[in-house]
Amino acid sequence: MWHDRPLKDGYDVVIIGGGAHGLACAHYLAKEHGVTDVAVLDKSYIGSGGSGRNTAIVRSNYLTPEGVRFYDESVKLYEQLAAELEFNVMFSQRGHLTLAHTDGAVRTMRRRAEVNRLQGVDSRLVFPDELAHICPQLDLSEHPRYPIMAALYHPPGGIIRHDAVVWGFANHADRRGVHIHQQTEVTGVDVRDGKVRGVETSRGYVAAETVLNATAGWGSTIAAMAGLELPIATAPLQACVTEPLKPFLDVVVVSGSLHVYVSQSSRGELVMGASVDPFGSYSMNSSLDFVEGLAGHVLELFPFLSKVRILRQWAGLCEMPPDFSPLMGFTPVEGFLLDVGWGTYGFKASPICGKTMAELIATNTTPDLIYPFRLSRFAEFDLVGEKGAASVGH
Amino acid sequence: MSDPTPTRLPERPGEIIDRTRQVSFTFNGEIYPAHPGDTIASALSAAGVRTFSRSFKYHRPRGLLCGAGHCPNCLVQVGDEPNVRSCQRAVEQDMDVNPQNAWPSLDQDVMSLAGLGDRFMPVGFYYKTFMKPSQLWPHYEQALRNAAGLGVVDQGTPWGAYDKQYLHGDVAVIGGGPSGISAALEAAEAGANVLLFDNGPQLGGHLRWRSDSDDTSRKDLLEKVQSARIEVYTDTDVLGWYQDNWLAAVRGDRLFKARAKAIVFATGTIEVPTLFDNNDLPGILLGSAVQRLLNLYGVAPGRRVVVVTANRHGWDLAADLLAAGVELAAIVDERRTRDHPASVDLAAAGVPIYNGSALTGARGRKAVSAAVISEIDDSGNPIGPGRVLSCDTIALSTGWEPALDLLYTAGGKSVYQENRAEMSVDPVPDGLYVAGSANGADLLQARVEDGRVAGRLAAAHLELTEPPPQQELDKLALELSKEERRTSDRISAPDGKKRFVCFCEDVTDVDVDTAIAEGYDSVELLKRYSTISMGPCQGKMCSVNALRLCSRIKGQSVQETGRTTSRPPTTPVYLGVLAGQNMEPVQVSSIHDWHLDRGASMMVAGLWLRPEHYGDATAEVNNVRNRVGLIDVSPLGKFQLTGPGAPDLLERLYINQWRNLRKGRVRYGVMCNDEGVVLDDGVCARVDDDTWYLSTTSTGAGTAFQWIQWWLQSGWGGNVHLTDMTEIYSAFNLAGPHSREVLRKLTKRDLGNKAFPYMRIRRTRVAGVSCRVWRIGFTGELSYEIHVPSSAGLHVWEALMEAGGEFGIAPFGVEAQRVLRLEKGHLIVGQDTDAMSDPLGADMAWAVKLEKPDFLGKRSLERISVDGPHQRLVGFEMTRKHIVPEEGLQIVKPQENGKLNIIGWISSSRFSPTLKKSIGLCWLPSDIGSEPGATFTIYQDGRLEEARVHHGPFFDPGGERLKS
Ligand SMILES: Cc1cc2nc3c(=O)[nH]c(=O)nc-3n(C[C@H](O)[C@H](O)[C@H](O)COP(=O)(O)OP(=O)(O)OC[C@H]3O[C@@H](n4cnc5c(N)ncnc54)[C@H](O)[C@@H]3O)c2cc1C
Ligand code: FES
Repeated sequence: MWHDRPLKDGYDVVIIGGGAHGLACAHYLAKEHGVTDVAVLDKSYIGSGGSGRNTAIVRSNYLTPEGVRFYDESVKLYEQLAAELEFNVMFSQRGHLTLAHTDGAVRTMRRRAEVNRLQGVDSRLVFPDELAHICPQLDLSEHPRYPIMAALYHPPGGIIRHDAVVWGFANHADRRGVHIHQQTEVTGVDVRDGKVRGVETSRGYVAAETVLNATAGWGSTIAAMAGLELPIATAPLQACVTEPLKPFLDVVVVSGSLHVYVSQSSRGELVMGASVDPFGSYSMNSSLDFVEGLAGHVLELFPFLSKVRILRQWAGLCEMPPDFSPLMGFTPVEGFLLDVGWGTYGFKASPICGKTMAELIATNTTPDLIYPFRLSRFAEFDLVGEKGAASVGH
Repeated sequence: MSDPTPTRLPERPGEIIDRTRQVSFTFNGEIYPAHPGDTIASALSAAGVRTFSRSFKYHRPRGLLCGAGHCPNCLVQVGDEPNVRSCQRAVEQDMDVNPQNAWPSLDQDVMSLAGLGDRFMPVGFYYKTFMKPSQLWPHYEQALRNAAGLGVVDQGTPWGAYDKQYLHGDVAVIGGGPSGISAALEAAEAGANVLLFDNGPQLGGHLRWRSDSDDTSRKDLLEKVQSARIEVYTDTDVLGWYQDNWLAAVRGDRLFKARAKAIVFATGTIEVPTLFDNNDLPGILLGSAVQRLLNLYGVAPGRRVVVVTANRHGWDLAADLLAAGVELAAIVDERRTRDHPASVDLAAAGVPIYNGSALTGARGRKAVSAAVISEIDDSGNPIGPGRVLSCDTIALSTGWEPALDLLYTAGGKSVYQENRAEMSVDPVPDGLYVAGSANGADLLQARVEDGRVAGRLAAAHLELTEPPPQQELDKLALELSKEERRTSDRISAPDGKKRFVCFCEDVTDVDVDTAIAEGYDSVELLKRYSTISMGPCQGKMCSVNALRLCSRIKGQSVQETGRTTSRPPTTPVYLGVLAGQNMEPVQVSSIHDWHLDRGASMMVAGLWLRPEHYGDATAEVNNVRNRVGLIDVSPLGKFQLTGPGAPDLLERLYINQWRNLRKGRVRYGVMCNDEGVVLDDGVCARVDDDTWYLSTTSTGAGTAFQWIQWWLQSGWGGNVHLTDMTEIYSAFNLAGPHSREVLRKLTKRDLGNKAFPYMRIRRTRVAGVSCRVWRIGFTGELSYEIHVPSSAGLHVWEALMEAGGEFGIAPFGVEAQRVLRLEKGHLIVGQDTDAMSDPLGADMAWAVKLEKPDFLGKRSLERISVDGPHQRLVGFEMTRKHIVPEEGLQIVKPQENGKLNIIGWISSSRFSPTLKKSIGLCWLPSDIGSEPGATFTIYQDGRLEEARVHHGPFFDPGGERLKS
């Protein structure tokens, strides 16, 4: 696997953040562009941020043509990732359902289905008769408080073993000579004459002319070290799991109206979550309020789970850009690059982010696929609005 | 017939079963007897049952281990309930208990064959296999999935009856053992309101089942508790500490939520197993589990017991076993000293005693048949050949782990005390105190004293008393430091058999070794890779052993190795308990029943239920256009702003101008967020100088209220007060050419166009009730919106219906209203706008007053107005007039290569009964949208349909009907 190596005093490329994004970028830099003088720095252990805390939903049924195209490339990479990394990331394409309980939601689902379909993504609106086959556990009668009118069905969507993705990338990057430095916190970004020169770390100064900020929940604080203010608000997102149960739920079920989503992991646990906490904060404390609300909404969908037990809950940090789309690419500070703004939805994009950011670094040009996510879109008012597809169903 | 309860003992002092009565239950299809007071596990043990279920990965037989609800080994299925800790669940008559994870049977589990091939299932095995060929992965996956999980969910289980209760206290004491009780007493004495929680059926903690105390000390403490001002919650598990001392506790089906100013954690210790070969065999129990069996339930753990220990507790246990007449095969003590008072009697009774010896392994196939012990040298390594002691039970009393998880989640930092081989917390956060055996105190007197001091400190934190003098604290600390060590950190050397570090996940010491060698060498990575501590026990049984092992392999201290983050809940908790009662609120208007009586078809709109139509929406549309209709619009958000600060606030909240609005006048307004995105729209009236009354969309009412509150509380709240009137007023819109005639019958006010023109508000009596009447209209017809106190809503509604009888009045629902407004080209926020829509693009440019000094969204709208919006919301008509494209369909531009590029979408569409053609609203690129008559293409079910841009209302473009 990966090794502890001495921290050099300079690298061609420094990647801040040892999550799936940073490590994927290191992997593709080394593998596809032969750039190996690369250091990935993480203040804790690899995967300690969102990459080890997310609920591992992977899908591409987004709302905008730009988003759908981008996430679809990521799903395709994920499909091949186990073979590429020789590490089973257990991508389980068991299907993804987003329920619509109001006519407004049906309209939004149809809109997404149409956008998806036109981009060649397998995604369609299904109604209760078909839903009964896809997810027989749902109460499709008229009695529930929020009867299910239809759902957006996305067969290639599913879940993945998040840690395995992190480890797989780390392993391969390390094998090609990338240095992974855990417990190495970046405390400052050295910018002179509009150019990045290196980073200050808890273990000393590291010089680099290319620095990638891939710190997700902390992205705006690192950007601030380089003198950049990002249009981002950070909020906690919580999740929880139950004790393991014999498998009974195949698809991933998301309900926007009920603010909840549920999937059953390959270990048999139910993995559940909701939307971000209603206020911004850098706290990673779990709250009682969250599990109480979540439990009520889960039972609203599946009353028969009342005697199933919650085993543990946790929180992670999410940076929320106003349009629910990421911030990727160049910044006004030369050499200081962004792969942030990943909100509640970034895990599914890890491979494609790594690949495109590696290409950007190696060629010094922005790949078309991520051009819509450039930082300057805010100044140009050319936003990529994904709120309708990303606020609950991460 | 053979004895059905061969290991039930004669009555024991202090037992809690009722021998005068019997109940019976089934386990694995067979009937078993029990007494009231028995747990499932005690009753099964009395019957000699050893294996309860099978393990998670290797399907190994597992049975009673900790007897305290901490481990995964006694999990069973009870009726429809999975993963029940059988040592904690009281037996009930006819209970249907079944093993878990066993197929085809508990005795002959096919999956346990996996155990034979475990050399091929090392840690991380899943990550390294099943990848090739990749097309087979879905099949592998299915097989892996089928093997996963423990208990079974019954899809017939109802939501059940759960509830919640709030508790308030000055001091919460968690744990009702001797230290917790004395902490509670001390705090109460100082005048604090005390909440005392314990998860046992009675207070007393270990005094209930451990014989190191005479019963008088417990009785004495209990009596004092009764007379003190202490709220006692037994059978109550405190399972979470949350920010600001917010505690979650569960008793049965009830969730307690308690806020306390100070908390004493007297949470005791958890007895933990050690590592040795075959350490998971049924028949290997922790000493405290054996003592509970003996002393609470009168059950012998087996017929021939080896007691393995490293502290006084093992000797206490041996004495209990001797007294109960259970055969002792040996006492094996790591220590070389033999100073326990019971040792004399035990020796006299002929019990073999091995000092300076330790357990190195267990033998047996489905249950223990022998213990292998060996003498050890000073570093704990075995010397000389081992000795095999035949037995059917091994009682392990070699170590304790303070139960500090709650305190860790509360911010306590863990410190590993090498000399005691236990964790402690330092520093303990302010206002939190730890006491008793959780704090390392072992002897009864020390626990009581430690609790007393903690109680005093908690009371002093509330300034109810003085803290204890420093000498007293020092003295106590000194005494605690002199306590004998009670925990051994010895790990015996492997001897070829499996040694489980983690029972939940079947992780062995070899797995830990391998994982670390592979680079997963920090505890958090090790946990995630090996899945140690991720199962039902959440690390209670395994984390300290895993840490010791990890530190040894890495050659670090345990402290350097660190521990993984503790997360709530500390005990798994039902979703039902967290959810509470099934009470999703439903909002209905004051005339809900009337709608139902008239056969209205109801629809969900936010929290509300609203009539969608009363049978025929088209007829309802026609009736409004030709005669008069009445719609219940009570769900509209209705807010009153009072105070001289109101105009300033409105100027900032809305993009429109307000200051110049005169009394009695109404204006349409739009709110945006900082990004210039439309949040809500509605009308706002100046009722008098300092009173403003505004309405918002129905579904957006809650959000709008929060939004306004947010700003009021963030500095814009000067001189203005916001009141939510949404439910106080019911609201109806009377619309249609005859609406004036209808209303005239019920009011004295002059309704003429001069006295009450369009976009005005008046207070007037309608059918004798004082109402606010607006002359506005969404439908394009002459209309009045009547806001009436909800208590009189039905009266006024019925009066209107009656008065309208002669004019052909009929109620209309949301569907008809949508058609009517679409004919007028009005947008609906949230339907025709989304999280990207700005008012410039959404055809509301006229409302945007960029010249105002400031308002929410101004900066963004200024920027957008430079180049103009990229997209525009416009009306459209279909070339084929009868085709209604569904809402949500995409507008495309066919490319030369045949590809269809998305350029816009349909947000509203209907067939207009008035105009006899299909109409709608859609978003288009500004260049196309700005050109009336421009054609574009809609993608519908694989076909392409042509449509044309239309600007302005489709019906009555001059608005004459509205103003008539
Ligand atoms: C509860 C939850 C559920 C989620 N569910 C999903 C989901 O189902 N699907 C999905 O696609 N996405 C989901 N997400 C979002 C997803 O987790 C993130 O978008 C994604 O993991 C981001 O990956 P990353 O590699 O960019 O960042 P991270 O994995 O967060 O990595 C950032 C790293 O930067 C390090 N770091 C921070 N500051 C510094 C510093 N100063 N110096 C050095 N290192 C630093 C951190 O330690 C961290 O390891 C969820 C998030 C949460 C919290
Ligand atoms: S024996 Fe019941 S939980 Fe451990």
